[in-house]
Amino acid sequence: MDPILTFVVILIGFYGLSTSTNIIKSVFCVTIIESGVILLFLNLGNLDGGTIPIVGEGVTMIADPLPQALMITTIVIGSTVTALALMLCIKVFHHYGTVEWAEILRREEGK
Amino acid sequence: MLNVTMIELTAYALQVLLIILAIAIVVHRNNGTIIILITSFSLVTASLYIINKAPDVAIAEVAIGSAIIPLIYVISISRQREFIVLDKAMDDFIISDNQFTGVGYILLKRFTDLYHLELNITNDARLCSLGAGRDQLLCEQTNVDLIITKDEETNTYILKGKKSSVLLQKLDSMAKDYDNIEVVQFKDRDFGD
Repeated sequence: MDPILTFVVILIGFYGLSTSTNIIKSVFCVTIIESGVILLFLNLGNLDGGTIPIVGEGVTMIADPLPQALMITTIVIGSTVTALALMLCIKVFHHYGTVEWAEILRREEGK
Repeated sequence: MLNVTMIELTAYALQVLLIILAIAIVVHRNNGTIIILITSFSLVTASLYIINKAPDVAIAEVAIGSAIIPLIYVISISRQREFIVLDKAMDDFIISDNQFTGVGYILLKRFTDLYHLELNITNDARLCSLGAGRDQLLCEQTNVDLIITKDEETNTYILKGKKSSVLLQKLDSMAKDYDNIEVVQFKDRDFGD
């Protein structure tokens, strides 16, 4: 496992977020960034190469359980953020008639 | 002699696959393809969580990331193009001779084709039974976009919708060609946010 390769995934997500022309595409890129951040956290908690964090007889080194507990929360919250963003996207479509960023800005200025 | 174990080799292969999938999601244009790609992206990240000694996070990712999130995307992308019309008049404005050939239907069809929307006409008895004074409330609190009512005295059809919608302003200009159709736009009320 290499944290650098995980960081590349986050950077690809940011690239997509800054170049996407579509609102739904931006939401997809937020999902990518979220997965990359979770992977980075778990990777940094497991750098020394321990075992699964269940303490028993003969177990001396375990992976850090704290980032794992935090990352379960991140996955659940990430799904609700996705649902909220897509709901707002539907509202924007019914308000402006399009989901393209440039077109929305043009119509907002043209008012 | 190779001094990398099988697990490390698998981890590197999965990480490269993850980067390829991320690039594919960013460059693709079709939303349907991206949903399939994001499902496989989630499954690959779930396997990487197991390699990182976090099986509990992997279970949550498989259940939520690769099952519920694609479902949310599919539902929202299919709902986005729906234009829901509540038909309270229920006469030959929409359906004449048991076919969708009424004047109103042709106007609405022309309008929805212009924006590539999907026309969905309903005459739900529960919503229709509400009085005319509550039309504005109905527009704000349910997902109904347009309400059709009929003024019996002047024999005109009234289409009601929210004023903030750009779609409705276009419909207003299209309906000017017809004498017996009138478009009413509700003003946005301030909810004190």
